[in-house]
Amino acid sequence: MKTVSLYFTIFIGFMGFVSDAATTIKKAEDKPIGQKFDSSKEKSNILEVGVKGMVCAFCAQGIEKKFMQQKEVQAILVSLENKKITITFKPGQRLTNIKISSLLKESGYEPNF
Amino acid sequence: MHRFSLLLFLLFWFECRAFAHPVSYKDAFGIMSYNSSNRNELLLTYSINHKFAVAHTYLLEYKSEFFIPRANFLLKRWNQISSQANVYLSLGSGFEKFKKQVFGAHLAEIVLDWESRKYYSSFEGLILQRDNGLNIDMPHQVFGHGKIRLGMAPFLADYEDLNIWFITQFDGNTHDKAVHTTQLLRFYRKNVLWEIGASFQGSFQFNFMIHL
Repeated sequence: MKTVSLYFTIFIGFMGFVSDAATTIKKAEDKPIGQKFDSSKEKSNILEVGVKGMVCAFCAQGIEKKFMQQKEVQAILVSLENKKITITFKPGQRLTNIKISSLLKESGYEPNF
Repeated sequence: MHRFSLLLFLLFWFECRAFAHPVSYKDAFGIMSYNSSNRNELLLTYSINHKFAVAHTYLLEYKSEFFIPRANFLLKRWNQISSQANVYLSLGSGFEKFKKQVFGAHLAEIVLDWESRKYYSSFEGLILQRDNGLNIDMPHQVFGHGKIRLGMAPFLADYEDLNIWFITQFDGNTHDKAVHTTQLLRFYRKNVLWEIGASFQGSFQFNFMIHL
């Protein structure tokens, strides 16, 4: 059972990396280079929100997952250093502050507008 | 016993942060595995919301196998600008398999943690109540296990980076009453985390976690 458990964890780890790499490649393909977080372009489509408690990349991935599930969101950048997220909305679309707060709380964090 | 009591005492003076993640974000599925020479644990969790998760533990310790469904609760979280602290409680009830016999087994666990981008600390205290009195390697029917971890990141990595941590772990249990010290190297990037370590007694440790 010990050996099976060890092999299982190694296998899951490998699959996790493959899945992560595939997601990263897919995201890169979806976003034109240079447009991602250039605040000089379509500034009204970009919103920066401070996040309290966001200190760990392993834990904060829930934020990226939650926001990318929203049809209004085109991209999200998480910055632990600046303690904020930068949300890029699709043209003409937006999330309300109440919805953003709710998504952050579901991820286990608090907004700092 | 005195040293184990000291560990418990220290708990209340260190604020702590573990990566045990009894509860994660809503709809998160977690797989965690902790492996040392005499202990293997596989923990599967599904977070119903950010305060409650259902989980299942498989634990192999001193030739006894435990299968314990459990409920994990985030009792309290403090989100600060540059840090986060949590208190988790986990309760479970299942069975122990030993030499083809099945016995009842129940557990309660508390996890306290505190973390910034540079430092982290955690305490995990587990009480296992067992109906099995036949395993001579694990004679106590109330089995306690405590763990304190102190960690430091040598550099501040951001969200997309590979994060590396140096960790010292002190753990002990009510069976052998010794405090074991283990040095660990932790690596994580995005949703995958793994740790390798060696204790002063020469045993190795490998831990692994993933969020799906």
